[in-house]
Amino acid sequence: MSNSTAENGASSYSGTMIAVNAVIAVAVALGAVWVVNGFNVFYERLDRVSPTVDGGGIGTAFAQGNDIGWLVFMVEAIHAIDVLTGLFILVLVFVHWSAFRRLASRMRQPGEARAMPDGGDTDGENGGDSR
Amino acid sequence: MTNLDHGKFTRMTTVFHSLLAMDVFFLFFTGYAIMFNDELWWMLTLMGGSGSVAALHRVFGVGLLALVTFWVLMMVTTDTGRSNFREVLPTPDDAKAFVQDIQFVLGNAEERHPNARQFAGGTADEIPLLSYVGKGVIFIFAVELTLLSISGLLIWSKTGLMQYFATQTAAMAFVVFHGLLGVVMLMGIMFHIFEHGFHPAFFPVETKAFIPRSMIPESHDDDDEGTGIERLQLSSGWASATNLAGAATVIGIVSVLTASIYDTGYPVSLELLVGGGATNLLLTVGVNIGMLVLFFGMVLSVYGNLVRIRWEQQMAEGEGAEAEAEAAD
Repeated sequence: MSNSTAENGASSYSGTMIAVNAVIAVAVALGAVWVVNGFNVFYERLDRVSPTVDGGGIGTAFAQGNDIGWLVFMVEAIHAIDVLTGLFILVLVFVHWSAFRRLASRMRQPGEARAMPDGGDTDGENGGDSR
Repeated sequence: MTNLDHGKFTRMTTVFHSLLAMDVFFLFFTGYAIMFNDELWWMLTLMGGSGSVAALHRVFGVGLLALVTFWVLMMVTTDTGRSNFREVLPTPDDAKAFVQDIQFVLGNAEERHPNARQFAGGTADEIPLLSYVGKGVIFIFAVELTLLSISGLLIWSKTGLMQYFATQTAAMAFVVFHGLLGVVMLMGIMFHIFEHGFHPAFFPVETKAFIPRSMIPESHDDDDEGTGIERLQLSSGWASATNLAGAATVIGIVSVLTASIYDTGYPVSLELLVGGGATNLLLTVGVNIGMLVLFFGMVLSVYGNLVRIRWEQQMAEGEGAEAEAEAAD
C-alpha cells in the first residue's frame, strides 16, 4: 500500500499504514511487558529455605513465620472481612449508580424548557420564576 | 443552583467532617503507599521514601487520635450529642430502605424509601437525619477507627511490640492487620465519594455536608407532592462524568480488594514495605485508578468548602442589602 508515485519520484508511506503499524507497535510493546510481568515469581516461593524438602521447607507460608495462633487467625479473618464487605460495597455502588440514572431521567434534561408546575400559568405566583 | 437541599448538620459536624476527611485521605495516601508498594511505588518515592512516609503517617495518625477523641467527647458530654445517639441506631426501616432501593432500581418501586432518599426536596419532613447508608458509614467508622487506633498505637514502636510478641514476623503481622483493616474503609470511602458526588440533583457535590443547616433557608411552598426533583435541571455533564466516575470507583474497589488478598506480610522486609503477590500491569493501573478516586474525593471536599464560603458571602451581601433598605426606610 505504499505510495510509490509521490512527487519527485521518491517513494513515501501512506498515512493508513503509518497509523496501523503505530497501533501494532504499541500493542507489541505493551504485550511484551505484559508477558514478562507474568514471569514474576511470587517471591514468598523464592525466599524459602530448602524449598524442595517435604512440606516446602522453612517459611512455606506466612503462618510458619508467625506461630501465634490468634494472630494468624486475625489476619485471615480480616482478609475474609475485606472480601465480604468489598462485595457488599460493590453492590451498593451499582444500586446507587442505577438509582441515580433513574432519578436523572425524571429531571428536566439539559436545555429543556422549564415546565410550569400548574400547567403553563405564567403570572409569577410560583416564586416569580417565569421568564 | 440545584444542589442546595434542606440542611442536616450543625457547623460543628460539617467542620469536623472536613477535618476528618482531610486527615483520613492523607492517612490513606501515606499508608497505602506502604501497603500497596508494589502498585504505588511512585507515591512512596514522591513522599520521600519509606522512612519519610512512615513519619508522615504517624503525624496524621496523631491527628486522627485527637479527632476521634474529640468526637467521642462531643457525643457524650453534650445534650445535642446524646440526643443524636437515637438517630444513629439502625431501625427496621433501614433494612426496608435497602430492599426498596433494589426494587427502585428494578423498576418495582416508584420512589426511594425516606431512609434512603438523599434529595429530600418537598418531602423533608419524612427524612431521618441519616440514611441507611449514612448509619452504615457511622457504624463502620466507629468500629474501624477504634481498631485502627489501637493497632496503630501497638505498631508505633516495632521493637516495643517485639518485646511482647518475641518475633519480627509477629510484629509484622500487626502491621498487616492494621493495613488490611483499613481496606474496608478505603473501599467504603470510594463509594462514599461516588454516592455524594454524583447524585443527579447534587452533582458535583452534595453541599449539606459542608453548609451547616443554620445557613440554609428552610421555608418553601408545601403545595408540591413528592420531592419535586422533576423541576430541577440535569447538568449537561452529569451522564458522562457519572459513567467515568462510576467505572473508576468499581475498578478502584475491585483492584484494592484484589491487591489486599496478596498482602500477608511475608517475607518480613528490612524496610517497612508490606508487599508480595501477583503484581501485574492491570492491578497496578487499577490500584492507581483507586487512588485517583480518593484524590478526586479530596478535591470535592475542598470544593464543597469553597461553595460554602461563596454561599456565606452571598448571604452576607443579602443581609447587608436588607439592612441598607431598612435604613433607607
